[in-house]
Amino acid sequence: MSVATVPTGLTRGIDATRLALAAAGPIAIGGVLALRAGDPSPLAATPAIVFGIAAATCPALYIAIAATKQAPTLAGVVRALGTSFGAFGIALAGLVLPALFLSLSSTSEITTFAVCSVVLGGAAVLAMVRLAGELAPKTFMGGLVCFVWAAATLGIAGRLWFDLAAEVLL
Amino acid sequence: MIGAVEAGPRVSFGTIDLLLRDREMMVAKIKSGNVVEILKTMTLTIAVAMAIVGAALGSYRGGEQILYAAIKLPLVLLGTAALSAPALTAIGAALGRKSRLASDLALVMSALAFGALLVVAFTPLIMLGRAMEVSYHEMILGTVAVFAVGGIAALSMVIRALAVEQGKGWRTALCGLCLVFVMVGGQLSWALRPYLVRPRTPEIVFVRDVEGSLFDAVIGALRSARGIYDRDEAPVPGLTPAFDFDLRGPVSSSDEVAP
Repeated sequence: MSVATVPTGLTRGIDATRLALAAAGPIAIGGVLALRAGDPSPLAATPAIVFGIAAATCPALYIAIAATKQAPTLAGVVRALGTSFGAFGIALAGLVLPALFLSLSSTSEITTFAVCSVVLGGAAVLAMVRLAGELAPKTFMGGLVCFVWAAATLGIAGRLWFDLAAEVLL
Repeated sequence: MIGAVEAGPRVSFGTIDLLLRDREMMVAKIKSGNVVEILKTMTLTIAVAMAIVGAALGSYRGGEQILYAAIKLPLVLLGTAALSAPALTAIGAALGRKSRLASDLALVMSALAFGALLVVAFTPLIMLGRAMEVSYHEMILGTVAVFAVGGIAALSMVIRALAVEQGKGWRTALCGLCLVFVMVGGQLSWALRPYLVRPRTPEIVFVRDVEGSLFDAVIGALRSARGIYDRDEAPVPGLTPAFDFDLRGPVSSSDEVAP
């Protein structure tokens, strides 16, 4: 879809079910970690990391791609972010059960940490790929902006996740 | 018909025949949307086929191990399919592929049923190995080879079906399915081992005590290979259970290994 044809409705095309899954997914992964650690704090901390980092970095993405003079409208960016969050939610929905099984059937806390990290990180990468597809940057600068934003966001979230897991598991 | 009751879709031998003869037609049938009958048929096919294979593997030791393996092997494959198939739909849908959980589940179950049927076709060779008193390790290698053939056949069916569809992100979804399947299948089969037991093993257990996951065992083996040992010495059959329990749990005199 070209930039000019991006719908102007802020919420048009955003699937509410997928957004609900995106909201529930991090809680579920936090629950897996909490079960292993015997500490309920990941239940709240995991969604806080996911949505906090997203809320903190999404404006930067909009500003940066707008500065490339090739930006979609605000509505287009919001719609792309909504689609991306939906992709995150649906990916987590499919991976939570295997993660729960692998974690509970293991005696090692490192396995729980590794499995939860792979699931969260994998879903986040899929969501980033979907976001890049929705924004469809046509210039090198646009693509670079998306890549740097994705790397920074994953890096910050990954560091906070690691600190959380280390605190409750180790 | 007097007293006719409206029944749901039945298990169909025609569907099993179609799966064996023409898998492209089978994939087309899955895409047509009538998946309830396919799911029922494939579930039963996997259960029966794996029970036969399990019984054949259990016959290497004989006795109750025939029943144990016949129960456990279907559980491994059906449980793995139930936990893994949603990953195909979820990862594909995340990347923009039209999500169809029922169709994807039917495709995965059909592919696994095809693989299971191929493994059943090798059962006479397993029984031949038993009859010729082939060594335990050769039986293990033979079993791995047979399951590899079935696994490759099942995977190729899924790949062909997704390649024809050419939906967005199908390659990533396929890789995700394979990764989840290997991890979940490996762990579930590890948790429910043993299947193939040495004939001289005096005691048989349905499942071994929980000793961590397959990945814990792999990590432990890697540490041991680097000279880092978690125990003072390896457990030796014949030690008193109380002594060995302190090291790594009670010693069973069985030295069976999962295939």
